[in-house]
Amino acid sequence: MANQQLKSEVTGSVWQIAAQEGQRLEPGDTVMILESMKMEIPVLCEDGGTVVEILVEPGEAVSEGQPLVVVSL
Amino acid sequence: MSTKEVEDPSQSRRAKMREDYEQRREKALAMGGTAKLQKRKAQGLLNARERIDRLFDPGTFIESGLFSTSAVPADQDKSPGDGKVAGFGKIHSREAAVVANDFTVMGASSAATNGRKMSHMKRVATQRGMPLIFLGESSGARMPDHMGSRGMGQLLGNDGSQYQRMREIPWASATLGLSYGSSSWYAAMSDFSVMRKGAVLAVSSSLLASLAVKEEVDPQELGGWQLHAEITGFADLVVDSDEQAIEAIRQFLSYLPSHHQEAPPVAPVPSGSGEGMDRILDLLPASRTQVYDVRKVIRTLVDRDSFFELKARFGKVGVTGLARLGGKTVGIIANNPLYKGGALDTDACEKITSFIVLCDSFNIPLVMLVDTPGFVIGTEAEKKRAPGKIMNFMNALALTTMPKLSVVLRKSYGQAYLNMGGGRNSDEMAAWPTAEISFMDPQFAVKVVHGFNPGDPGFDDARAAMDRANEVWDIAAIYAAQSVVLPEHTRDYLIRMLEVHELRLTGGVGQHLMRAWPTSF
Repeated sequence: MANQQLKSEVTGSVWQIAAQEGQRLEPGDTVMILESMKMEIPVLCEDGGTVVEILVEPGEAVSEGQPLVVVSL
Repeated sequence: MSTKEVEDPSQSRRAKMREDYEQRREKALAMGGTAKLQKRKAQGLLNARERIDRLFDPGTFIESGLFSTSAVPADQDKSPGDGKVAGFGKIHSREAAVVANDFTVMGASSAATNGRKMSHMKRVATQRGMPLIFLGESSGARMPDHMGSRGMGQLLGNDGSQYQRMREIPWASATLGLSYGSSSWYAAMSDFSVMRKGAVLAVSSSLLASLAVKEEVDPQELGGWQLHAEITGFADLVVDSDEQAIEAIRQFLSYLPSHHQEAPPVAPVPSGSGEGMDRILDLLPASRTQVYDVRKVIRTLVDRDSFFELKARFGKVGVTGLARLGGKTVGIIANNPLYKGGALDTDACEKITSFIVLCDSFNIPLVMLVDTPGFVIGTEAEKKRAPGKIMNFMNALALTTMPKLSVVLRKSYGQAYLNMGGGRNSDEMAAWPTAEISFMDPQFAVKVVHGFNPGDPGFDDARAAMDRANEVWDIAAIYAAQSVVLPEHTRDYLIRMLEVHELRLTGGVGQHLMRAWPTSF
């Protein structure tokens, strides 16, 4: 099974983490919500998969392109 | 009288000619031979002739160059069609031209005869005003024909307009296998480029790339669908099969005129269009900080099932696609808050710019749906040359001579207000009562204007005053926005305004001021 990193598309901070490690995600499911430019930006698992590892914590600052979650396809 | 038939010399001559013709024809139609064709079939791939059969309305294909072969005498017997099958046919009853690469014949490599064929198809399609379609799968330039200075001099550079694009006619391409060299050039120059998963679009093969950089290069990493759908944006659409790719080309062309001097075709309005308009406001979250997928708004607004999204996985903060409103083709440009809150980044600027050029070149009015907090700012954006990209986008919008209708759904801030058709940057600017328009988001503006941070005394009052000032009513009062439209009336408003702004003086044909702009940025 190939692992895929979901990366932050914005510079901002982690607001809420919606998924848990080991959880099975359907395509389009929200993994976490970032806050950037005063907007709640969802991080979506576009292709679906299983959460292998969550790499950030709520409140943590993230930069554009930073890996947030590892998902097994 | 003898019953014995007298031999008719004329009949025998006809029969002989026919037999010779049929033999030659069969040899040409056999392409690269049974073994190669069967191998493709086993892989689930269509061959060049099957692809053409699917592309055109049944029985309308007429071939050009059936008996062509390689110009190199030693290769003549093994090069039916010289590796490229060309001709004319009808798509939804309208004439079109095609060049389909036949990978079973010398890897569909480019050579002298098929180069002549390509030039002929381009010339006829351009002069007679019909779309040109490339079904690409090619190993690149034929070796050893191109080698040495004589090879180069004979085969390359003899047609100065070979890679000239003036957008007189729509070009559509499908990348359906390994595509190197000219096959990739034509895909990059096309108005629409669809890619089948598994295909590769690159300058040259992974073998050559590996030799050049002295490391193994994976073909999919070099030019696979993910690269072109998400990073380069060269793929307007990615599909799973040859059949889907060809159907996508038929669908794309259904929105376009045959050439730049006519208006796009008008289609019947499907029943069920406009369903859901009474609840369209529900698609917008009540909280201004929450996001939504603007594509749901688009699908509700336009004629049923008519939204044909382009570059869906590239520059996702901007949505571009063709659609119909009241049967007429429109180009939709929308911010998508689902990604980055709708803040416009450089990829989205490039994507929208090339889409504006496409629409303007082929007489397609623009409809802009606005919900953006502004452009992405910061060091990353500057490194990606944001000012240049933003101004290319702005200039494209200004040069468009097709009608531009802009509807502000929610946020419209700063320079992005102008880029998304604010003020005289569209022919009609409308806004929903949910719109908020200003130079910057009030959360930041309270700090900049008053020096207050959230929690400071006076912050809440200053913020409330700003929120009120950002409402749509003030801009409507000074007639800088022409209309305030209830969400549920938006489809009817757009259909009516498209009628109002029809280009009556020119029969729907614009000035095409960007016809020589690049096909990618």
